[in-house]
Amino acid sequence: MTYFFEVLASKIGYSRIGRILFSKERKLYITTPNVIIPIKIALMKQLNFIQEFENHELFTISKDFFLKIGFIREKFKNNAFVFTYPGTIQKFQEILEENNNIFSQDNIISSIPFNIPTTSISVEFAQKEIRNYLLNVEKILKSYPSLNFGLSIKIFDYVELFDYYIPIINQFENIKILNLVDLFENLNNFRNILKIIFRIKNELDNNLIVMVSGRIIPKYYPILVYLGIDLIDCSYSLFLSAENFYDTIEYLLPIYKVKYFPCSCLVCKGNLKNVINNKHSAEKIDLLSLHNLITASNYMKKIKQYLNYEDFRVFVEKSSLDETNLISILKILDKNYNYYLKYETPIIQKSKIIRSLGPLSYHRPDFQYFREHTIKNFEPEPWTKLIILLPCSAKKPYSQSKSHKKFYSVIRKFNEFPNFQEFILTSPLGVIPRQLENIYPVNSYDISVTGEWDNEETNITAEMLIKLLKKYDKKIPILCHLKNGYLEIVKRASSKLPHDFVFSEIQDKTTSIKSLESLEKLIKQYKDKFQLKYNNLKNEYLSKTWNRKFAKILDYQFGIGSGNKIMSNGLKTVHVRVNNQIDLIDLKTQEKLGFFKFSTGQIKLTIKGFRKLILSLHSINSHYIVFDGDKIQGNTLFRRGVLEFSSDLSPNSQVIIVNKERKRIIGSGELIVSSNFLKNSKNGRIAKIYEWK
Amino acid sequence: MKEGKSLIEKIKLIKRDAQKRKKNYREEQLNRPISFWIKKDRLVNEVGKEFTIILRTRGCSWALSENGGCSMCGYYLDANNEGVKDSNIISQFDYALNNKINEIKQDSNNFVIKLFNSGSFLDDNEISKEVRNYVYEKISKVEKFKEIIIESRVEYITSEKLEEIKGFFGKKHCEIGIGLETVNNYIRNNYINKGISFKSFKDALKRCKDHDVGVKVYLLFKPLFLNEQAAIDDCSNSIDVLNGLGVNSISINPMNIQKGTLAEYLWFQNRYRPPWFYSLFKCIKKSVNKGDLNDTRILCDPSGAGTKRGIHNCLRRKCEYSAKKILTNFVLTQNIIELEKQEYECDCKKKYSLRKAFY
Repeated sequence: MTYFFEVLASKIGYSRIGRILFSKERKLYITTPNVIIPIKIALMKQLNFIQEFENHELFTISKDFFLKIGFIREKFKNNAFVFTYPGTIQKFQEILEENNNIFSQDNIISSIPFNIPTTSISVEFAQKEIRNYLLNVEKILKSYPSLNFGLSIKIFDYVELFDYYIPIINQFENIKILNLVDLFENLNNFRNILKIIFRIKNELDNNLIVMVSGRIIPKYYPILVYLGIDLIDCSYSLFLSAENFYDTIEYLLPIYKVKYFPCSCLVCKGNLKNVINNKHSAEKIDLLSLHNLITASNYMKKIKQYLNYEDFRVFVEKSSLDETNLISILKILDKNYNYYLKYETPIIQKSKIIRSLGPLSYHRPDFQYFREHTIKNFEPEPWTKLIILLPCSAKKPYSQSKSHKKFYSVIRKFNEFPNFQEFILTSPLGVIPRQLENIYPVNSYDISVTGEWDNEETNITAEMLIKLLKKYDKKIPILCHLKNGYLEIVKRASSKLPHDFVFSEIQDKTTSIKSLESLEKLIKQYKDKFQLKYNNLKNEYLSKTWNRKFAKILDYQFGIGSGNKIMSNGLKTVHVRVNNQIDLIDLKTQEKLGFFKFSTGQIKLTIKGFRKLILSLHSINSHYIVFDGDKIQGNTLFRRGVLEFSSDLSPNSQVIIVNKERKRIIGSGELIVSSNFLKNSKNGRIAKIYEWK
Repeated sequence: MKEGKSLIEKIKLIKRDAQKRKKNYREEQLNRPISFWIKKDRLVNEVGKEFTIILRTRGCSWALSENGGCSMCGYYLDANNEGVKDSNIISQFDYALNNKINEIKQDSNNFVIKLFNSGSFLDDNEISKEVRNYVYEKISKVEKFKEIIIESRVEYITSEKLEEIKGFFGKKHCEIGIGLETVNNYIRNNYINKGISFKSFKDALKRCKDHDVGVKVYLLFKPLFLNEQAAIDDCSNSIDVLNGLGVNSISINPMNIQKGTLAEYLWFQNRYRPPWFYSLFKCIKKSVNKGDLNDTRILCDPSGAGTKRGIHNCLRRKCEYSAKKILTNFVLTQNIIELEKQEYECDCKKKYSLRKAFY
């Protein structure tokens, strides 16, 4: 069976960009995430509806009347449809049989309905109903093996009942869409919601489209997309219109309360304001329906725009502030699901400003990934004699800022400055070794700075500082050139560390002449206090700033010791301004080992670079894929070609691709998806290949 | 209230709580029927009048059994738990008949007499053979009574009892009302908790036909756990099937919320809404064509219509009145065209179409 859906890019959290292939011949693709606009007779009578939505990609139809050939084929041949029947499954089967030829056409898919019972009185009752439903589903799927279907999933608030669906989803390949019908009925049950989403993402084929229907309001759309929902049925917007609600996204306003129309759609500019005071007006409901659908559709366009081109996470945080349950969902995701989400989240974002808005941002997956990875993979340079703690700056990277240039003017007065390890303290990323100031997200984050730190920020940074400083000999002095809130961090850290902390005298600002003089004096005083144990560090010693940086960036990306391995012959760096990158050249062989891109903060290794990293192809245990063949064609690697893979892969990770005997490296690439996707799928795009052998 | 594990346990729990407030009836109350009335009605081939008597008995055996009874039925609250003697039932019948007999005789219309005991008229535990024979005898002597309707569960419709009926009524048209509710076994037994199979109904239908006794089938419109479209699908499917089986009358009973029922329990929690008139009309228009009405009567006289406990649209008086009038005219005339008439165009029809999927 040809693929139906493919993931084109993984984004933060479980969010993803994909496309549904409705017709290969006609190249009818539907992009996801997307809203599904309901078609109703009442709406079709409004010319404005047709004008507004005739180019929309995807609609729901719920009456068999709309299945008649003339309607589907001629009027909307470039659109796609999901048939969601609102009645009994028996009647649905009759419709399916009568219209089999239409369902076999290429722009319509039906969702097997699970409308009754509308509610449950106990878990045993719900269990029985689900079993009965699935018996019917099995019959339908077996009777129409060449038709694709959506499967409606209802759990009646009993999370454990999701187990019943798994066998049938895994058994039948013609289930393409999972339609979560009642999962979001009650947002207070957010823990249950997350349990189900997690199970879908970790136990089922990741190429299944996840759709939600039921009582969904546009305010939820950002978090739904963040949770990996691909399609959202916005029929509930019509229900709200019937209840006289006007949707502004932030609020659902009773129409009589609307005095200033915050929308300039053709409805709000048109007759709506003239009919809002008519208590019983069919025209008012028609217009409200159209406005609410336009609002839902436009909001989804905004989401897609930000998902593709901006930092989507910050948008999710901002939009969650309209509903306390959404805030709770984010908090629980960050706290309880981070172990899984960090591997689903791309490890870089290119050329974006990453705004930290407050407590909701502190534990976002990419920030947690950075903190954990730094602690895990940052190894002290063996020639370090002195540690200097500095405040962060607004401009990134820090060394480009006025303040850090002034710090440099003091630090670099000393010839032995490579023996000094600088750490920059910042919220919410914690502690940044100077060598990592160019990587994501350090190179692009932004936060409001007032000098005041809240307790959580202080804790995050203090704990990270403790973990990093514990890696250093306790006799190495630590100079603190800090003031205000930073001092509390150092106070907390120093209470748990045996090291000596000394503080420069800050007068007015850290960059004032007096303050800098104090720093210089301290460095002079303490730079020789610690005697290095190893005198002969010539081969390892790196004095050039960029070489020091690349060594640690490579460690960060590929594990401790990677920098040493790759740079074992010494390194020559070549700035390629036109590409805004630095090429890494092996000093001995003159081979290009990789290149560092400023826009991503990532080093991309060439195959030659990877070779230096790997002792033996049989012993590599990370950043690899075993391909089912000896040669890769094209610049995309697909899941079907993958035999084995390492378990620690995130989107944008680099991988080395080896042949099936593991004897040769045949390519290198960058992942589109995560290890989890690889584990739970049989199809789809996996990686972009950027070098072939 | 503890959550019951199954539908039956839930129904029984609710009934147990409701019955705590119930008192037993005094002797003089047991000698009076629960209710009786005369009103316009559709006879087989003409417009006439009905004379309805609701008898108080010990109650429906199914409701009294371990199975708990039907999920929407609250008539057990009208029954007398201690039992009702034959003499009481005869007194009830006599009281009603004596009260209305002059009016009946003076009326120019023909009558259908309907005997309802919110249970099974043919259940010997509820109404003994002696009482039945007494009643049959009395009815047979009233010329105006052209049609007789009694009700019974299928298990009590035996050849012997059918012969009894025929023996008394001869040319009068008799129909036995059977609460099939739906032709769908799953809905009937898992949502309504009726405890009968479609096969047992068909067997009873055959027995009635063999004895030339008519059958009136009650269909429940929008049982619990169904939404509006499912209600339309289920009921129209039932009508199609029953037309094919050649039943005499189909009485569509839209759900009404009775006290002390699972229906009321869910309704209080906004987990069930009685059906809209629009759905009922759609269902009838969909499944009934002109030809069918020549052979099968479609009846519908909903309880609580136009109120929040019964079938209703938007509860505005004009709208409800208009809908009830359309329904009544259809039933009286048996003409589908009546359902197309729209004296009052209410904006709630638009709201209905947009909200339907969520009820």
